[in-house]
Amino acid sequence: MSEAVIVSAEIAAGHDGQADLIVRVRYQNGVVAPVTLDPDTALKLMSACGVSDINDLAGHSWRKVLEDN
Amino acid sequence: MFDILIKNGVVVDGTGAAPRRADVAISGGKIAAVGLIDGTARRTIDASGRVVAPGFIDPHTHFDVQLLWDGAARPALEHGITTVVPGNCSLSLAPLKAADRKRVVGMFQQIEEMPPEAFTQAFEWTWEDFAGYRAALAKNLSVNVAPLVGHSVIRLWVMGAASQERAANPDEIAAMQSLLRQCLKDGAVGLSTSFVDVDENARPVPSRFAQFSELDALCAVLGEFGRMLQVVPEFYDADLTIARVDQLSELSLRHDIPTTFSPLFDSVQAPNNVSRVMTRVAEQFAQGARVWPQVQTRPIDISFSFLRPSLYFARLPRWMRILRQPMKQRMTALRDTETTGKMAADAETFRMAGAMAGLVIRGGDKAPAAYAGRTLGDVAKERGQSVPRALIDISLEGDLDVAFLSANQGHNVTDRVGPLLAHPLVHVGASDGGAHLMSFATYGDTGFLFSEFVRAGKHLTLEGAVKKITSETAAIWGLKDRGTLAPGFAADVVVFDAETIGRGDERPVFDMPGDGMRYTRDATGIDTVLVNGQVAYANGAYTDARAGVAGV
Repeated sequence: MSEAVIVSAEIAAGHDGQADLIVRVRYQNGVVAPVTLDPDTALKLMSACGVSDINDLAGHSWRKVLEDN
Repeated sequence: MFDILIKNGVVVDGTGAAPRRADVAISGGKIAAVGLIDGTARRTIDASGRVVAPGFIDPHTHFDVQLLWDGAARPALEHGITTVVPGNCSLSLAPLKAADRKRVVGMFQQIEEMPPEAFTQAFEWTWEDFAGYRAALAKNLSVNVAPLVGHSVIRLWVMGAASQERAANPDEIAAMQSLLRQCLKDGAVGLSTSFVDVDENARPVPSRFAQFSELDALCAVLGEFGRMLQVVPEFYDADLTIARVDQLSELSLRHDIPTTFSPLFDSVQAPNNVSRVMTRVAEQFAQGARVWPQVQTRPIDISFSFLRPSLYFARLPRWMRILRQPMKQRMTALRDTETTGKMAADAETFRMAGAMAGLVIRGGDKAPAAYAGRTLGDVAKERGQSVPRALIDISLEGDLDVAFLSANQGHNVTDRVGPLLAHPLVHVGASDGGAHLMSFATYGDTGFLFSEFVRAGKHLTLEGAVKKITSETAAIWGLKDRGTLAPGFAADVVVFDAETIGRGDERPVFDMPGDGMRYTRDATGIDTVLVNGQVAYANGAYTDARAGVAGV
């Protein structure tokens, strides 16, 4: 079964003046949609994917966002 | 004889009517006449070349605490704001039992970033119920206050510590209904709730433990008074926000109440989010629901220091690795010249040095005062360093407690935000005045509305912009006799220069209790502000007038 995959990630300004992460996720039905992550969640996602550059998030499973580390 | 006669101005009366040359007469705190007036007055204000408009209304603030020692909600008043709505996002200072004060103070400190001295030195807690808080406020007001009551404190009053643990039972919900009913009788203009906020320990605030049935029951009470429900939805997710729009619409229709939610802001990284939400808002309005999205005028900046890892560096792997280390290891790495040399080289390689040059050193922390407000590029040149090296060294010299700002990173494309603000279903607000004190200035949004979206972008006419933040706001909130320059209305008036009204640069000040710091902005182009017929601000200075009303 295919799974949702991160296709890109960008920094965006969050309401509280922090830098948020907007990741674009391609779902199983082909739809690509943005998801906004707060810094803590974004940093956890980066760790779960083993990357320290947001450009390297592309291609990783979106399911990684659920991993607690 | 009138009390005050404002002569020779261009009246923009708040209704959206075209500007017209007229005088404004005031007696007994009310507008007595608008037109070409020959009568005499005890005081005459010459408004030649100036606009005379209703005082502006700020529908989303957190001035709950500040108003107890600063009845002008500085600097809101000097920006032309004559009425503020505190108590947003589920938090208010009443009703609140003495035993629960510490718990609520923690929540306020989390949201408002106010120093602890603000709660221990600046005022005396004399109340528990809403009427008592309103009475405490009324002693010293220069602005009018239309206070919301917070869902979280209502829950806390009824459920105690369990308010942050579980759903309410039927008896508790009934008790909350009774308490809310009393608050509304005592002058609350509505109820605020939040699906997002956390306390100082990152625990959800009490309102987030409520089931829909509880919110529905409370809205039934709001319906008895026709009062507002204010909500913070999961604004970071368009789908969840749309779901909340539907939920609010259901509550609005069932109980015949107005509802409003915020924030809603534009992002070019997710360019369809706002339009999707607005489409659903329009559909719900077409059904008869009142679900007003609040949209701020000011752009959103990104700020950071090396004290906490920021995603600002998310394209610089070495920087991210180092800044995410525990403090001791982080400091060791930043003091190692070989490591920082590689960091500086990375910034050049990954083309971040240029962006870093535009960072503004914010001040108000351990940054040298001489650097505050200047760009990092400018300071780096003065220091004879590369920009990345200066960023690292200035941070180190300030024990990492040096904040930098990357300005205008969100909600910043005038030709996208302007039409949104002009949308007939958008409620201009969401300033958050009095909150986020140490993160960014939440003042001057009204001035920015005129400078950026009337004068520069021409997305709104002068009279359209005035209407948005006066009569329209009053109508949305049910604030009777406010927001319009017409006989019988309260004499809340602002006299300003349409060519220069705006906001000054953000700057740090230490005017909070305990010499606490906050960022602020001065007003430009505002000549005179009257509240209930008394001059509260004129010629760049606050007066001794205390004509503000608590509970308009």
